[in-house]
Amino acid sequence: MEENRTQGQEVPKFRGLYRYVHISVKALDAIIIACVAVIILVTLFSLRDAGYRVTFDSRGGTDVAAEKYQYGDHIQLPEPPTREGYTFGGWYLDTACNEPLTEAHTVGAELTLYAKWIPTS
Amino acid sequence: MEQDVLLRMVDISKSFPGVKALDKVSLEVKKGTVHALMGENGAGKSTLMKCLFGIYSKDEGHIYLNGKEINFKSSREALDNGVAMVHQELNQALKRNVMDNIWLGRYPKIGGIAVNEKKMYDDTMAVFRELGIDVDPKRIMSTMPVSQRQMVEIAKAVSYNSKVIVFDEPTSSLTEEEVEHLFQIINMLRDRGVGIIYISHKMAEIKRISDYITVMRDGQWIATEPADKLEMSDIIRLMVGRELTNQYPPKTNKPGEVYLEVKHLSGTYNQLQDVSFCARRGEVLGLAGLDSSGRTETLESIFGIRTRKSGKIYLDGREIRNHSAGESIKNGFALLTEERRSTGIFSILNIRDNTVISSLKRHKKFGVYLSEKSQREDTQRYIDAMHTKTPSQETKIRSLSGGNQQKVIIGRWLLTEPDVLLLDEPTRGIDVGAKYEIYQLILDLANQGKTVIMVSSEMPELLGVCDRIVVMSGGRVAGEVDARNTTQEEIMTLAAKYV
Amino acid sequence: MINPVKNIQRSAQEYKLLDAKDKKRYWMDGILNNALYILMAIFVICTAILRPRFLTLDSLGNLISQVAAYLPLALGIGGCIVLTGTDLSAGRVTGLTAAISAVLLQESGLSNKMFNSLPAVNPGMIFLALLAVAAIGALIGMVNGFFVAKFSLHPFIVTLATQLLTTGVILWFFDLNGNNGQPISGQDQMYKDFVGGELFRMGRTPIPMYVLYAILLTALMWFIWNKTTFGKNMFAVGSNTEAARVSGVNVFWTIVLVHTLAGAMYGYAGFIDGVRAGSVSSVSGMNAECDAIAACVIGGVSFVGGTGKISGIVLGVLILRIIFVALTMLGVSPAALYIIKGAIILCACSLDMRKYLVKK
Repeated sequence: MEENRTQGQEVPKFRGLYRYVHISVKALDAIIIACVAVIILVTLFSLRDAGYRVTFDSRGGTDVAAEKYQYGDHIQLPEPPTREGYTFGGWYLDTACNEPLTEAHTVGAELTLYAKWIPTS
Repeated sequence: MEQDVLLRMVDISKSFPGVKALDKVSLEVKKGTVHALMGENGAGKSTLMKCLFGIYSKDEGHIYLNGKEINFKSSREALDNGVAMVHQELNQALKRNVMDNIWLGRYPKIGGIAVNEKKMYDDTMAVFRELGIDVDPKRIMSTMPVSQRQMVEIAKAVSYNSKVIVFDEPTSSLTEEEVEHLFQIINMLRDRGVGIIYISHKMAEIKRISDYITVMRDGQWIATEPADKLEMSDIIRLMVGRELTNQYPPKTNKPGEVYLEVKHLSGTYNQLQDVSFCARRGEVLGLAGLDSSGRTETLESIFGIRTRKSGKIYLDGREIRNHSAGESIKNGFALLTEERRSTGIFSILNIRDNTVISSLKRHKKFGVYLSEKSQREDTQRYIDAMHTKTPSQETKIRSLSGGNQQKVIIGRWLLTEPDVLLLDEPTRGIDVGAKYEIYQLILDLANQGKTVIMVSSEMPELLGVCDRIVVMSGGRVAGEVDARNTTQEEIMTLAAKYV
Repeated sequence: MINPVKNIQRSAQEYKLLDAKDKKRYWMDGILNNALYILMAIFVICTAILRPRFLTLDSLGNLISQVAAYLPLALGIGGCIVLTGTDLSAGRVTGLTAAISAVLLQESGLSNKMFNSLPAVNPGMIFLALLAVAAIGALIGMVNGFFVAKFSLHPFIVTLATQLLTTGVILWFFDLNGNNGQPISGQDQMYKDFVGGELFRMGRTPIPMYVLYAILLTALMWFIWNKTTFGKNMFAVGSNTEAARVSGVNVFWTIVLVHTLAGAMYGYAGFIDGVRAGSVSSVSGMNAECDAIAACVIGGVSFVGGTGKISGIVLGVLILRIIFVALTMLGVSPAALYIIKGAIILCACSLDMRKYLVKK
């Protein structure tokens, strides 16, 4: 008798942000399944074209084609670009040419590299 | 006298995880009768009704309406088939007017698009006239008292041509006069051949209105008898499964000197006007009055959760401020609110958290740290002292019955070691056995020299427990009576003084 | 105490008693309730097959640092969610404080240093900068809290407003002293070491110092949530504001303090972010609150209010990070990443709701 009186008779009511929610478990189940399906499908779809684009901004020099790398790859440096009146000073991670691209750098996101030009005096 | 059976529920069973809420319960409602459904809280009355309306799906059993098996999926479907329910807590569109609420979801249309306001108005008036309800169909719901909103709900049920109407605790927020009107309507419905299921705790009402009584206990059917064959004591015996001889414990407290004085209290946002009274140590003071006579507002103003316009409070001759609940607690006040669910319990938290929330500073160590051990001890002490029925301290409070929830909240307040207890409807929605325990507790507190001020709508309860009763009317004090030599009639006369 | 072995035995017995239809439902419920865990498992398995590097010590080290970096924000927002609210300003506050701490602790003698008059960085200054950004975050949080508590407005609106305000301040800040919105870099080595210095190595991946700080912070938050009056009051207000008011809880201060504490957490997160990613730009920390909110909801800090555990938040951040590390390794495009994030949040909310749905 005590068991009966103390347990689970009053149905938990929606509270907080869910105070006005009216939705059936079935509908929720459908939403959950749909979300999971979307996540998996989008992942599969974008896997066909997976990888990170590394763009080379030659900044006035000859064009260098962008390349695609997978996560954790080291960047294989392309043929250095050329520019009249300047010598190529290497690839840099920022426009101000403070941070050079090092050997240890691995690809982890979309990346743009900037060329440094040293004027030939 | 052979009457045809309108609604037949056979061997209904329903389980929740760990609990068998209904165990092969059967119920038959005959045409043109009022069938009372009784039982303590948690006996399974509401669950049975929810199975009827498809709010829960039943595990086993069959329901027949006019001999045809039915299985409603929603209360809307039930309504369309002539089975209506007037809820304990009314679900209405409060910002809309009366007729919108009645015709919601099935507005009469002109050409299938525009709503035919005129037809709606006329139809509403027709139903109201039939039932003797005096309400303007264009009035906005939220501006009407609960009793009138309930009438609208009944009118709605009638407008669906309902064959079966379920009333769930319809009188819990009505005044005596409104109850009379409700009973007239119910009698009229009965004469029209409607089958009525009437759920209530109030024994006297049941005896007056019902033709048959079905008693349930712990999810099981106990008995169905014609109402005139059962005495009140029989019903109680069937409900609790034991004899209950005394409804009120013997009064042993001795009021001492005046402790709390309230002088010329007026409210800013409510109708309170010049409320003055005093309460003694070791006294149980009752506050009587009709609904919205300002009883709750008085308690809440004293406790500082409502804004006071003017008025002073003296404790032991010393003036106190009581501007917030925290300050009042420091001054030794405690307030048990009327609406347990909305302003009492933290339903999602466990019993321990619910118990210690007002007395956290008792458990402070090193300035910030709260000791788990002393919280556990305090909680256990009050679970034991109040005989709270719970599997453990970690149980969520929402899974307890109303009476046990009330005990937890009383325990919470006792832990603040109050001198003045303000109890607003302490026994509302609590079953008979637990009520007695709460009366006993109130008297124990008075015996310890504490001041108890108690608001109640149940007159016999005030007469049985209090020493003095202050009667309020229209936000004012209408008079004061001695509980030992007064009558319900005298109190009612005072309560109507400023209405 | 309940014996777990017996418990399992009993539920196994109960399971045997179910009929075929119920058994099916039992499994469906199990699968749906744990949908995100299963999703995570699928990602882990697929990534492990496609990118063997995923299952190395290095990548575990990377995961740990990522969790440590994203944890403070989630710990802060968790409190707001317990109050049935949320905080949309979190990401932007992190961005602002990251920029401020980066500027305060820029290397001296740098050509593009924003404020040349700042003294050379010393340990005291690092500490001061940390305090300063935490205070700035706390201040913004306090503004949030004040309006949420006083106006009884939904936190969505209030924090959306502060989000915009903060964005404005950030853009302004990046234009100061002729900076013209350039990213801020060149943080002092001492600052870099304080935040990103090597604790120990996992394979070849160094575990940075901020992992240690994250652990300390988690412990601190656990203490605050569970062992202080403030924590108990927070849960009470989140569970039932009116009842809390009646019970003598100072609801106003509780709400203000929860938001202030959250703000201080964002400030700390900004301090870490100011050096973690190398440079700080005006879009740093954008939308970071979405990750934090998703992590909290996944970790069981429910929008119903009044429930949630610190351990849940840690778990939530971990699950989310595992999924994102896997996605990064797979090389999924940013477009896909946004869609996946949105779907995860919807999914987490549905799961949360499902837990509190009335059983029919």
